[in-house]
Amino acid sequence: MSDPRLSEPHVLDQPWRLWASIAVVGIVLGGILLGVVIIPVVQGRGAGLDAYTAICRALGILPGSPARPQPSDRTPPTPVSQVAWTPDVLQILARANPERGRAKVLEVCVACHGEQGVSVAPEFPHLNGQSGAAIYKQLHDYRTGSRTHPQMTDLAKALDEPVIADVAAYYAGQPKRNPNPVTLAESPPAIVRLVELGGPNRNIPPCAACHRPGSGGPIETPILAEQGRSYIVSQLQLYASGERRNDVYARMRIIAAQLTPSEIEGLAGYYAAGFR
Amino acid sequence: MRNVERLCLAHFWVAFAAFALASVLGTWQMWVRSPLGANVGTPSLYFMSVTAHGVAMAYVLTTFFIMGFGYFVAVTALARPLPGKPWAWAAFWLAVAGVVMAVVPILRGQASVLFTFYPPLTASVWFYIGLVLVVAASWVWCVLMLVAMTAWKRDNPGRPVPLAMFATVANAVMWLWTTVGVAVELVFQVIPAALGLIQTIDAGLARTLFSWTLHAIVYFWLIPAYIAFYTLVPRAAGGRLYSDTMGRLTFILFLVYSLPVGMHHLMMDPEHGNGTKFIQMLLTAFVSVPTLLTIFTITASLEIAGRLRGGRGVFGWIAALPWERPMVLATGLGFVMLGFGGFGGLINMGYGMNAMVHNTSWVTAHFHLIFGGSVVIMYFAIAYEIWPRLTGREYVSLAPLRLQLWLWFIGMMVMTLPWHWLGLQGQWRRVANFNYADPLIAGWGPWVIVSFGGGLVLLASALLFVRNLFVLHRSPAPAIARPLYALAVHPPQRVPAALNGFGLWNVLVLVLMLLAYGYPIAQFLIEPSPAAIVHRMQ
Repeated sequence: MSDPRLSEPHVLDQPWRLWASIAVVGIVLGGILLGVVIIPVVQGRGAGLDAYTAICRALGILPGSPARPQPSDRTPPTPVSQVAWTPDVLQILARANPERGRAKVLEVCVACHGEQGVSVAPEFPHLNGQSGAAIYKQLHDYRTGSRTHPQMTDLAKALDEPVIADVAAYYAGQPKRNPNPVTLAESPPAIVRLVELGGPNRNIPPCAACHRPGSGGPIETPILAEQGRSYIVSQLQLYASGERRNDVYARMRIIAAQLTPSEIEGLAGYYAAGFR
Repeated sequence: MRNVERLCLAHFWVAFAAFALASVLGTWQMWVRSPLGANVGTPSLYFMSVTAHGVAMAYVLTTFFIMGFGYFVAVTALARPLPGKPWAWAAFWLAVAGVVMAVVPILRGQASVLFTFYPPLTASVWFYIGLVLVVAASWVWCVLMLVAMTAWKRDNPGRPVPLAMFATVANAVMWLWTTVGVAVELVFQVIPAALGLIQTIDAGLARTLFSWTLHAIVYFWLIPAYIAFYTLVPRAAGGRLYSDTMGRLTFILFLVYSLPVGMHHLMMDPEHGNGTKFIQMLLTAFVSVPTLLTIFTITASLEIAGRLRGGRGVFGWIAALPWERPMVLATGLGFVMLGFGGFGGLINMGYGMNAMVHNTSWVTAHFHLIFGGSVVIMYFAIAYEIWPRLTGREYVSLAPLRLQLWLWFIGMMVMTLPWHWLGLQGQWRRVANFNYADPLIAGWGPWVIVSFGGGLVLLASALLFVRNLFVLHRSPAPAIARPLYALAVHPPQRVPAALNGFGLWNVLVLVLMLLAYGYPIAQFLIEPSPAAIVHRMQ
């Protein structure tokens, strides 16, 4: 080619097509050879893996890293709760029928928790507008023995899983009242700070990080608003002493154990605020 | 200028208004994370602010700027009217409507999901629909860019497409490929979840699809800076472009290698095998090639300019460059930031080193330095360069422009270098506040304060930038006509079709994407994911 400007277009274009394709595809094939074959096989040898297993692991077909074998743990796990939020459980919750739930509520729950979830006494939690997943988990935990209560344990054992979901859906759908800003404003600043910012130097996360509606905490977190004062006090004390232990990862036991009695009182007051 | 001034100015002003507001939010975030602002605001407010800052900077500033600049290039580089101008206006208003739809839920606290689409975080559906509208508007822009280039080629058979337009179309083509990943994620996973139509979402698949978009989008933002390097800077410096072919190769390499590399954001994710991560890491290494080509070519072009201006010796040409011109100054400062940011990026890319900095402030510092630093400083320089052409007025003095660029550079360095250091100390990113009472964390405090100082300088620079542009609209001096685009040392007479269009490269991108993302995505359809990565949606 003496002068490329005089050449026919296709004379110039052919080598471009050829060499660009060879370079681009060659690089990626080289990468595949290195990343999927050579490195896994060589590193896998040191970890006692045969070549086939090492290649399958590198591709992601078999679990594990090719660099070292995964330690196996024979100790069976002992979960604090039997509830796992698998797609199946979420389906059960999604298919719950509040009408059936209402029938069961009128039959069983109404005596303490009220027809609309407004409890008859401050030691029983209000359930109106509570998160359905939270009610489901607690009933399920009573049923499996992860949480115990003189009355609730036997009542929950008599309900089967779909009915639990129905009851949860019914109470979740009941209207709730918003906290009264006037009474909320009467909370001491230290308590408001604990709710909004937590106590970082004691490793206490803000309550609102999980317990405010829509805050994005674990799905089973109950919404705390207009809740009975003595119910909250008793639950925080049970967590602090370790008597109640159905909180996953001991989240609430760790937090409650750090709280002083006056803070427990203050938080209970905060979350009772605005209720009739 | 063929009557697109209003169109360009409309795009640029939306971009820069979002930029100015987001700068204020960014500075506030730096403050509340520092020991000085401890206990100010709440975490929800912080994440709302981060979301607004990220959306404004990463989606509004960039998309509107790139669209406006693309229209400008199409009429100036091709020297013909913009085809389909009504469509361009329609796309503009569609994008504005999308921004409003996205911003309202953010301000109402219903979309504090940051600016990444990582389930199970889910926002109000209006947030997603708004951003989809912005993307749809950018697709209209892509089509208009392709139409403009095709029509020019039809009327000028055999002639090489001007480099500025070739690069703009490369960006448009890349953007069409890029948005496929996030579009699939939004349409099939996130929006149905936000509407409550599905109860679970496979976070592994969602993250994989987002990674498809996540890295190439950064190159979408970056290419205007590179267009300025190749086509505006050599002229502004008083020289010529060292090689036109090098420029074409650079933009082609960006198109080819910015896409099959996104999995380097998922190095610590469990849903992919090490082999696929290795392949994408290797391909990521090749993204550094066009940047290295650019550093070489632009330095050579500046050397030509320096020597033409009488510079002598090995380094004498550097001193001879016209540093008083904003475009040249911004390039010099941008290169310094690109150097630091680029080496930081190589560390993010390395599988082993990534483990050390993953999800730490290092990453935040990296993208602020390379995008907020070297790319945005070139956005400033581009705006300064073309504003007189859009308004017909000239700057009375260049001093405030230079001051603004210097402030941006100093602020960005002071903010991001300590931030990198904090990342190495293990400071995690995306948290609202730090417990400086903890002895392990207390030592971070002084560096966070230094970093906040950099943030204040950046805010001053951002406001000065808007002021500089605003003042020009009322400047008494009429604009001086002067050439805009640089000539190459050897202007191309005829280039192979491979360097004048994108047919071949689209085929190669398809091959690379199939090899890099084929199995990683197909595995989710072949075998159901373990329950651990299937997240429930509320």
